Amino acid sequence: MPRYGMVIDLKRCYGCYACSMACKTANHTPPGVFWARVLMGEVGTYPNAVRQALPVLCMQCEEPSCMEVCPTGATQKRDDGIVIVDKEKCMGCKYCIMACPYGARYSVEEWESYFPDGLPLTPLEEFQKKAWEEKSGVGVATKCDFCLDRITNGKEPACVEACPAKARIFGDLDDPNSEVSILIKKERGQVLNPEFGNKPKVYYLLPR
Amino acid sequence: MDPKVNGQLQREWGWLIATYLFLGGVGGGAYTIAAINSFLGESLELSTTVGLWIAFPALLVGTLFLIADLGSPSRAVLAGMKPRTSWIARGTWIITIFMILSFLHLILHQFTTVGEAAGGATAINIIAVGGIVFAIGTMAYTGILLGASKGIPFWRTGVVPVVFVISAVVTGHFAIMLGVTLLSNTADTLVPLRTMALEAAGLVILEVLAILFFLQAAFRQPDPRESAERILRKRMFVIGYFVLGLAVPLILMIVVYRSAPDAAAAGMFPAITIGALLGLLGGLILRQAVLICGALPTLNMAGFEFRRIHRPKEPKPDIGMLPPQ
Repeated sequence: MPRYGMVIDLKRCYGCYACSMACKTANHTPPGVFWARVLMGEVGTYPNAVRQALPVLCMQCEEPSCMEVCPTGATQKRDDGIVIVDKEKCMGCKYCIMACPYGARYSVEEWESYFPDGLPLTPLEEFQKKAWEEKSGVGVATKCDFCLDRITNGKEPACVEACPAKARIFGDLDDPNSEVSILIKKERGQVLNPEFGNKPKVYYLLPR
Repeated sequence: MDPKVNGQLQREWGWLIATYLFLGGVGGGAYTIAAINSFLGESLELSTTVGLWIAFPALLVGTLFLIADLGSPSRAVLAGMKPRTSWIARGTWIITIFMILSFLHLILHQFTTVGEAAGGATAINIIAVGGIVFAIGTMAYTGILLGASKGIPFWRTGVVPVVFVISAVVTGHFAIMLGVTLLSNTADTLVPLRTMALEAAGLVILEVLAILFFLQAAFRQPDPRESAERILRKRMFVIGYFVLGLAVPLILMIVVYRSAPDAAAAGMFPAITIGALLGLLGGLILRQAVLICGALPTLNMAGFEFRRIHRPKEPKPDIGMLPPQ
């Protein structure tokens, strides 16, 4: 059984948001919900400060705090390491949202139009809403699942496929010959805030 | 486009959860005081009765607020499925058992024929001991629920449960004082009420110390400091909680305690009523302020000090579309 993980090369990412858009298209996420986010900021100190994009998604933690706090057992970790939410079990208490230090979880009770002034949903939005509700449910916790439906069909997650800079690499962390394992070893991949103790499976290659 | 960024305020828990935590605290505090009073044979038996009448309904209504906040309320029955790791599941069991015990205590206390029957008093005492344990559990749970949230550093300083337990006792005490004042405003009641006013003043001072300790602990770490600065900028917190919810009730309770214990001092009843009401309001504001000032932690890695850029909120673009006729 593989143990899926992702490597994000920050040297390559230039903050185009293609991953965010591909994720929204593939998963029909509602307005305001970004499973694949890109934070814009800066690193370094003057005069060597540079603008930096930091793509963030669900870290598919080895020890997910969201799963620990879930009172109903709706959040589960699969054998391949992907953390999922069983929409039939989630009661929408939002405690997992408070427990995730990476801000990767959302709860949506009402789908509002992308367009302003209370306009009705467009036919495309109606389609997306229906697809979203079928996949993720209403009023329950939702999160990135590494595009589970795509990877079971042999495809890569939508954000990985869409990245024009090839800054995202997806693969099996347990396979020493996989690209992710080699990159993590060769370029000393790091995880965000290891002090949280969640053991994320999304690694970052830092700018030199 | 408004994606979540590190340091962004949590928006999922608002006044419904604040009210749930507040009423859980009031119920736990009122019950603890009432049960202890019944053990000590307090001179004012009315305070025990009032405390018991407050505890169960407060818990019941509080639970309804929690259910109203759920995204899928029909699945609320699943809330206690994972008590091994989840504080919501543990809290569900603690509050459920506490509600049962407080209800039984109320029934036995109210229907004296049952209480006076052989073994009735023993049964009440056993229930009261268990009730106190679960009341303390409920008060602590309302704080631990937040304290165990890994995603909100402001709540994880370790002091929130202490603040919430003290505030729960204070609000429970004020709720009992309010009930006693409204039910029996005679000169006889004033004497024990003066003692309660002194106790309330002491408890409020303890709460002031706890909240100062909480803020001081928050200011020592970068992420909680941002939330602490944010909470201190909120008029709701400074005026609503510190001034109206703590300072004014403290002054009024001291005035009531120092008043002459005779009929002429019956004018103290409005002071008790106002002080208790403001104290209760303060407890609600405290919880709401702590909730809405909770923010996500800053994301970083070793050798990668990422500073986010704050962008001003842009107005919604006018895309020239007209609403449907």
